Parts: sequence; structure tokens; C-alpha cells
Amino acid sequence: MSAELAAGQPRPKRNLWRNVLVFLAVVGPGIITANVDNDAGGITTYSLAGAQYGNRLLWTLIPITVALVVVQEMSARMGVMTGKGLADLIRENYGVKITFWIMVALLIADVGNTVAEFSGVAASVQIFGVPPWISVPITAVAVWFLVLKGTYRQVEKVFLVACLFYVAYPISAMLARPDWGTVLTATVTPTFQASGGYVAMLIGVVGTTIAPWMQFYLQSAVVEKGIKPEHYAHSRLDVVVGCVITDVVAFFIIAACAATVHAAGVKVETADQAAMALGPLAGKYASWLFAFGLFNASFFAATILPLATSYYICEAFGWESGIDRKWGEAKQFYSLYTLIVAVGAAVVLVPHLPLLRIMLLSQVVNGVLLPFILVFMLLLINKEKLMGPHRNGPWFNAIAWTTTVVMIVLTAYLVYAGVRDLAAGA
Amino acid sequence: MPEKEASQDPRFVYLSELLGAPVHDAAGRPIGRVCEAVVATRETYPPVEALVVRRGRDRLELPWAAIRARRPGRIEAEASAVVPLQPPAPDRIRLVEEILDQQIVDVEGAKVVRVNDLHFLWVKGMLRLVHVDVGFRGLVRRMGWQRGVDGAVRLLRPGARYLGADQLLSWKLIQPLSSAPGKVRIDVAQRMLADLHPSDLAEIMEDLDRQQRAVLFGRLDVETAADALEEASPEVTTQLLEHVPPEKAADILEEMAPDEAADVLAELPGHTRRELLQAMERPEANEVRQLLEYHPRSAGGLMTTDLVELRRDVTVDEALLEVRRRADELPILHEIFVVAPSGRLEGICTLKDLVAAEPALLVGKLMREVPATVAPEAELREVAGAASKYNMVSVPVVDEAGTLKGIVTVDDILSEVLNER
Repeated sequence: MSAELAAGQPRPKRNLWRNVLVFLAVVGPGIITANVDNDAGGITTYSLAGAQYGNRLLWTLIPITVALVVVQEMSARMGVMTGKGLADLIRENYGVKITFWIMVALLIADVGNTVAEFSGVAASVQIFGVPPWISVPITAVAVWFLVLKGTYRQVEKVFLVACLFYVAYPISAMLARPDWGTVLTATVTPTFQASGGYVAMLIGVVGTTIAPWMQFYLQSAVVEKGIKPEHYAHSRLDVVVGCVITDVVAFFIIAACAATVHAAGVKVETADQAAMALGPLAGKYASWLFAFGLFNASFFAATILPLATSYYICEAFGWESGIDRKWGEAKQFYSLYTLIVAVGAAVVLVPHLPLLRIMLLSQVVNGVLLPFILVFMLLLINKEKLMGPHRNGPWFNAIAWTTTVVMIVLTAYLVYAGVRDLAAGA
Repeated sequence: MPEKEASQDPRFVYLSELLGAPVHDAAGRPIGRVCEAVVATRETYPPVEALVVRRGRDRLELPWAAIRARRPGRIEAEASAVVPLQPPAPDRIRLVEEILDQQIVDVEGAKVVRVNDLHFLWVKGMLRLVHVDVGFRGLVRRMGWQRGVDGAVRLLRPGARYLGADQLLSWKLIQPLSSAPGKVRIDVAQRMLADLHPSDLAEIMEDLDRQQRAVLFGRLDVETAADALEEASPEVTTQLLEHVPPEKAADILEEMAPDEAADVLAELPGHTRRELLQAMERPEANEVRQLLEYHPRSAGGLMTTDLVELRRDVTVDEALLEVRRRADELPILHEIFVVAPSGRLEGICTLKDLVAAEPALLVGKLMREVPATVAPEAELREVAGAASKYNMVSVPVVDEAGTLKGIVTVDDILSEVLNER
């Protein structure tokens, strides 16, 4: 570097090597987001989707991937071009009232997600016979300290490496020798079932894949990384790669569960049963492998989620935030953070809770909240004042608005079906 | 007056109370609802120059002079004075668009805050902007819940701090960061910015987004900018230097300690770095060029060339004169180095030695042996070890011939060691 400087020779700038270097420097937010996306709620929702409906939900992954790429790309683009987080932008452009209600909704959904993460911890450790009332409080305290002591950045890398666990699903799916022709046909053939359960599962799958809080997280991560507009192309590649990873993992989890659990006709109620999907690979160790993967995913997300949520809320209301501040300086931030962790852990300790159902439910809440966030993202990204020439093109808007409308229709149907089932049940 | 319900003192009005208030003409026909207030920035406490009202999809401007009676909850104005919305001008601020809900710098508290509401004072028929509300109560007021929440709090804890302690910042002690060119310069705050501690200023920079950062940075004089950059993180520094014109960037780099300037330049892309080095004054540029040759975490990369060198044949009196001459530009001054005409490091004495010694004594008699030196290639651990073992505030860096190249000061060692963890 300095030799180059001393010699003062201009070098060809646009070579491949330089591009690779820039990509590696910019890489991260998208791919990390993708891995956090496959959290306890994700693994559980995909497992249940495969176990209950076999291959019948696989087709949703293609439109979901398109929607995910579109949505995440918007987040990253807004982050790079404005240098602001999503909560900032909503507050600055829509004022206090709207911001308040969005933050309330986000807080509820994220507490729900945190409950799901701790359920994931409880369910995974239960496989080894450790009861939740031991594992959950210990994990909650560990998470709390890990983040507040600032050692979390280093631990993040460990989590990311442990995410290689997801490779177990493709292998297991292959070893189960499903009829790949049928699987691939199911992937490209849309089918629909007009039952409340199917729609709820569908919303859950969409909600867990395109989780509302991920948009806040990704945008802030991009801002924090200080990616410059001229490097945006690399950032976009990072996002697309991340989205594809998310959905490839989802595909194999569903396929593996369809080929094993669903084929065996088991109705999944516990994590042990969901672990059957890894049977072809790990045999009797399947449940161990599953427990390991679920624990890693849950713990990883449980560190990030409450922290991220506290950041957005403080950002929106102008309160001091950040783990480098003292308690007295950032009271709201620390109180919120502690509250989310505490509530998340406490709910799981309620006796006789169906952990897997709770994880699924939290993803449905995500799905219901998603259209609201999408509407604001779309309004913001089309503002000339903010984005200038980087606004959405007509195609982009078409896909994004379609996603939003589809989600609203599905949500409305879910509410309708819920009411109908209640009425029928009574 | 369009308020009175919420604020106790009738002389004060909050912007949130003005917004949405209906405006009528003398005959009681509606003109629209207030959606924006425009102030003129020529004065310390800017007066409201116009209100903007919304009628259907139209936005119309209502000059302050056209507003006649102001009865509670509604404003009366001359319908004939209504003009179309005026374009932005350098000495006018649109409060809702540019200040409300945005981040500003609280210069007195040295931090970045978000504006929840704005506070006006009636003075001789003018409505002047005096405070910025950044408190929780401002948020509650914006939600429209002030009456309810205030009542509830009063009922539960009449002495609660919430009721009395509005967080109002004086308008003259804040820096708005709206990015419209040439806009909003508030003299007092401007001067106070320069008086902030560089670390505080750097922290404020880190808290702002890219555009706001550039706006604030553009308002700093070269010296303050250089001090702040020395404390800021590399990402922020490089981004800021790429934003200002190259001549100003070069001036700032010259003003910085050479080692810090070299660190910053090392982070920049090659072509920008060459451009800036070319724009810098020759001696400074050369010093920085030399430093850039070393690995950033070696002694050579960490060292600065800012130090006091003396010959052995000067008197203590002359030495102190030299120290005084240089003191302003040196961040840390403890060890003073005695160097032969060839540049060879011969000895060392501390500032304390000089102060305590007879004025006529020769420095050569006073100086002591140098306890430890490091080579430019030496690693951080070795440098830190030397500083710790011999209690040195600055560790001299010498080449094979024994020539003094620079010093690594303990503050740089400390921050590198902390980063390493």
C-alpha cells in the first residue's frame, strides 16, 4: 500500500481483484441477517410446515425469495443512500404518532419473537433432559451479560460458524431419498388449501422469512458499516446471496421434514419429533444434532433481537442508546433491553406451554405486522427528497406492492378464519 | 391565541399546539389548518414570519402581518393576504420540515438529541422561537395525551419530576443540521462548537448520519476539525475528508499530528491519498509520507515526529525557550531529546529536569542516558513493554544508525493495546 503510494503510479482500478476486495469489505450485513433469519421460529416453522403439509408449501418459497430479495434490497438501499436507520426515517418523515404505534407493534412482535427464541432454547435443551426452569434463566442471564459486557461481537463469529449446522438438512434430505421429481414439481406448482391452519402456516412461513424486525436490523447494520453509495452494487450482491441462502436452507428443512416426519405420519408436538428429519443423516444422534442447531440459532437470535429492538425504539424517540453508555445515561435503552429479555424468558417458564406452537404463533404475528412495515418502506423509498435517483423503478414497486397486498389479503383471511373456527368450535 | 389549554403560562406556545389549528377570515369563513411555521433566522431568537396552512391538497402561506386576532383554538387572518407557498430561502427555516422530529446537536450538553416540540414566546406581538423541547413530556404532548398523562401523574405523584422538568434547550445553544446549503448559522452555538472537547465533538459526529455529519463538519474551522478528527473512528474520518474540498482536507491534515494524519491517509483509497498529499504543504506531506511507509501497528506506524529536540551545547534557559515555543502544537510533552548534529540520539531529559535545573547549565551536563529505544519495525508489544518498564511517556524510535526518527506516545500505545483485546 505504501510502496504504491511512494511510487505514485496510477494502477488499473477496475480489475477483478479490487472488486473481490471491496466485496469482502462490504459483505456481512446481508449474509449475517440471513443467518439470524433462520432462528428458532424459522427452524420450527419450516419443520412444522414440512411435517404437517409435506411438500405442499414448498411452492411458496420461490415467490417468498423474490419478495425477500426485493424487500431486503430496499432496506439496504435506503441505509446506504440516506445513512439513516428505518426507525429514524419513519420518525423524521411521519412524526411522533405513527412512529409510536409502529414501535408498539414492533415491540409486541419482538417480545413474541424473543419468547420464541427462549422456547427454542428450552425445547433444544429438553432433548438432553434439562428442564426449562434451569436452562431458560441461565440462558437469559448469559445473554444479558454477553451483550452488556460487549463481548458479543467476538461471539458473533462463533455463532456464524455454528450456522454451518444447516448443511445437515440438505444432506439429511438427500439421504432420505425422496422422489425428487415430486419435490421439484411441488416447488413450482402453486396449490392452495382454504383452511385456517394452512393459511396460518403460510403466513407463518412468510412472516418468519421476511420478518419485520429484519428490515430494521439490516438497514441499521448497513448504516453502521458505513457503506458508501459507490459501493452499493457489492452490498446488493451481499443481500441477494443472503436471501438465497435463507431460502435454500428453508427449502431443505421443509423437504427433509416432508420426506421423514410427514412420510411417517407423525404429528409433531415436541422438538424430539421435529428432530426426526435429521434421522437419515445422524441416525440415533439426530435429536442431538437438532438440539445443537436449534440451540445455536435460538441463542444467536436471542442476543441480537432484544438488543436490536431497544436500539430502534430509542433511535425513534431520541433516547440515548448503545452498550457503550452508562446505565444513568441510557436508562430507557437498558430498561427496554432488560425488560425484553426478562419477559421473553419468563413467558417460557409458564408450566405446560406448547413450546413449538408458541414459536409458530410468534411468526404469524410477524406476518401480520409485515404489511404495515412494508407500506412505510415503500412510501419512504419513493420519496425524491430522500432517495433522489435511487428511488424504486416501476417493476420494483409492482413486486413490492404485490407482496404487501398479498400479505394484507392473507392476514385478513387469517383473522376471518380464526373468527369462523371460533364460532364453529363454540 | 391558538392555545392556552396545555401550557400554563399564556406567554408561551408550543408548536404542537399551533399545528392543526383552524384559520378563519374576518367573516368566519375557513381558510385552512396550520401545517407549518416559518421563522426568519436573522435574529438570535427567530420570529415567526409566516404560517403555512393546508386547504385540501393546497398549501398556502400566511404572512405574520396578515394574522389579526388570535383567539383560543382558532386564528383569524386576512384572506386577501394569503400567498402561494414560498420557495425555501437561506435565511428562513421551515420548522416542521427541518427541525421538528429531526436530530440536532445540543451544544451545551455535547450530544445529539431529537426534537420533540418547539417552544415560542410572545414578545410585543411577535412569536419568537426560544426553546427546543427534547423531553419525554414533549413526546406525550405530541401524542395528544398531555392532559390525560399529566392528570394521572398529578393524581399518583404530585411531586413527580415529570411535571416540572421539561427538557427545554435554548435555541441559541443548539445546532440544527438541515442540509440545505448556506442555511442556519447560529453564532453563539457556532463558537461553542469550537470550544467543545475534541472527544465530545468526535462522539457527536459518530452519532450523526452521513449527511448531518458532513454539514456539521463543514461548519468547523480547520483547527477544531483537525482536533475532532484525531479522536474520531477511521470510518468517520475518511468519510468526512472525502466530503470536504481537497484544499480544506489538506489544511486539516496539516493541522493534525503527523502520526494521526498518516493513520487517516492510510485508510483512504490510493488516488484520494495521492491527491491529498499533493495538496498538503511540502514539509508536512513529507513527514506523513515517511510515516506511511511503516506498518500501521509497528513503532514506525504509531510514532509521531512532533517532539522537542535539543543540542547538548544549549543552556537550560534556551532549552526552556524552545519548549515554550513548541508547547502549543505538542499534545504531550514530557521527555525532551538531545540529538547530535548528525541526528543521532544522545540523551534524554524530562521537562521536570529542565524546570528544576540552573538556567545557565548546559543541557549536555543535565541529560541522562536513554533508558530504551525501539526500532521502527518493533511491534506494539515491545513498545508498550519499554514504556511500562522504564516509565516513559514517549518511547523514542531510532534506526540502525541511532538516528532519532520519532516517538511513540503513551496515549497511542494505550489505545492500540485496548483495541487489541
